[in-house]
Amino acid sequence: MHTLMAWRNIWRNPRRTLVILTAVVIGVWSMIFLGALMRGLTNQYLEIGISTLTGHIQVHHQDFRSDPVIQNRIDRPGRVAEALEPLLPPGSHWTERIRVNAIANTARHAQGVTLVGIDPEREARVSFIGGAVKEGNYLEPDDPYGILVGKALAEDFETRLDRRVVLMSLGVDGKVASRAFRIRGIFRAETEATEKQYMFVTMAAARDMLGLERGVTEAAVLLPSHELTGKTAEALERRLPTPPLAVQTWRDLLPLVRVTIELYDTFIFLWFLVVFIAMAFGIVNTLLMAVFERVREFGLLKALGMRPRGIVQGVLTESFFLLLLGTAAGNALGVLSVNLLAESGIDLSALAGRLAEVGMRRVGYPQLQAGGFRLANVVVFVLGIVVSLYPAVKAARFTPVEALAHT
Amino acid sequence: MNALLRFAPLLLLLPGIAAPAHAEDAQAVVEASFHYYRGDTSVGTVDMTVHRPEWERVFTIKAWTKGEDRSLIRILGPPKDRGNGTLKKGPEMWMYNPKVNRVIKVPPSMMSQSWMGSDFSNNDLAKSDSLIKDYNHEIVGTGSHEGKKVYVIESHPMPRAPVVWGKQRLRIREDHIFLEETFFDQDMEPVKTMSAGDIRMMGGKLFPATWKMQKADAEGEYTLLEYREIAFDVEIPAGTFTLSNLRTPER
Repeated sequence: MHTLMAWRNIWRNPRRTLVILTAVVIGVWSMIFLGALMRGLTNQYLEIGISTLTGHIQVHHQDFRSDPVIQNRIDRPGRVAEALEPLLPPGSHWTERIRVNAIANTARHAQGVTLVGIDPEREARVSFIGGAVKEGNYLEPDDPYGILVGKALAEDFETRLDRRVVLMSLGVDGKVASRAFRIRGIFRAETEATEKQYMFVTMAAARDMLGLERGVTEAAVLLPSHELTGKTAEALERRLPTPPLAVQTWRDLLPLVRVTIELYDTFIFLWFLVVFIAMAFGIVNTLLMAVFERVREFGLLKALGMRPRGIVQGVLTESFFLLLLGTAAGNALGVLSVNLLAESGIDLSALAGRLAEVGMRRVGYPQLQAGGFRLANVVVFVLGIVVSLYPAVKAARFTPVEALAHT
Repeated sequence: MNALLRFAPLLLLLPGIAAPAHAEDAQAVVEASFHYYRGDTSVGTVDMTVHRPEWERVFTIKAWTKGEDRSLIRILGPPKDRGNGTLKKGPEMWMYNPKVNRVIKVPPSMMSQSWMGSDFSNNDLAKSDSLIKDYNHEIVGTGSHEGKKVYVIESHPMPRAPVVWGKQRLRIREDHIFLEETFFDQDMEPVKTMSAGDIRMMGGKLFPATWKMQKADAEGEYTLLEYREIAFDVEIPAGTFTLSNLRTPER
């Protein structure tokens, strides 16, 4: 009976109900939509970071990250392979690399780059480079002179396919090692910074240049999901001689990404709070108005013998219907708009054109996430009911005498 | 400075070496010319003029060389730059600056930068024997100069050689005088040309007293080397090509 009465009550003043519904709908929609957009942005950021030669887990010589020279290398990569392979969950891939700082030269240009010696087949499954070559060809495993350079760097250097690039770095003997390569392919990456930073050659060519017989500077693992990172890294750490080796996850390797994700999570939480506070005032206000309009009615109910609990229940049920309708419509609108924009994305370049400089895409693709979705609904619903207690208790306190005096 | 390092060393004046050999192939011509200027030791004093459209600087430089890969260069003037030095041993280079009293080893990142603001790069100095090691040479024509035959040679870098140039074109006279060296980029556009002039007897043999490095695309930019004097086959004290000597001013 409460249900029916409450339902009818909220439609006694349809305009007011619609106004408050609109507030709830917009609030819920903005929570869902912004949450999805933020989640989409940070996920993209993470994916880009992981695919740009990071992976989920990396193994290095313990000193390599503070001093990335060839002397700080993994001398016996076989031990890493032995420790790693039995641990990997199905669907994982891993590869080895030689990564050193180098100077790239042509007749008119010179620039510092990161030279990466790769195993072309395995690398293609781990990082972006496998599908990134847009002109020319990907490296063949036995290519002694081939090099892949980024589009932006090729433009800076005014060079193109089949041209020579001379690379200089410090060799194993501590002396300058230099060697010429021929541009086999030109790759595109998400950001220009990546295109300008990396150059890829085969592992054999890198070893030949640096005077290295065996050994790599890192092993990188790509797992089927982010959640497996911590567990696998711990297990790996136990099986490897650490030191001299060190195991790091993307959280250590991409501190900027980690901090950005944490920042966005905090931001979303604050956003939820702000939206909810605004919405709560709307709900309380509307319900108070509805309650004060019906003072005589509540007095009558009391006089007829209804208990205060019943009145509280009645008002809360009205609030429940408002919230139910509002969140339902807000969710529907949120899902709809996220789905509409998930394909095309939102071009943020007008708002944040410099995002690309920290490695984020200019187009945001919102992504629904069960966690954010649930959080938005629970926050609105539970807290909505809680704030409605105030007008409900107010209504329950009217006595028949007060009601009579009320005009 | 390329000229300094490549050509300043003494030719051991063997009588037979100057005889023109018509059957020489390109490699032999280049090597013979290279060795004409290479020898055990040399000590020379050079004025280096770095010319730009807006300004010009003249350095006076003294250079000691020994064998193929050791040299010490010291700036004598102007006073502002006096005492700066460069030591080269094999592929490695060190620079000394008296103002900060420090020797630095030239890292790979600085190898393609200009040496003392001139049109020579550190690489030009460090890789002075690259022309012999890293290229395939081919005679593409002949000409004449002061009544002597001149070979025009095109030199293409070997596949893995650390050479940024697309090719070089050399003009070498039959008596081993190196007349001109043009560096081309990989689009086969000329980048810079070094040309010799004022060929006369110096230090006991025919030697170009001036060398000019001219950028192809900047008319008013060049570096000119003018030899004041050069002596070949002199005794160079042991310990000249050491870091401690680099640090020690005048001797």
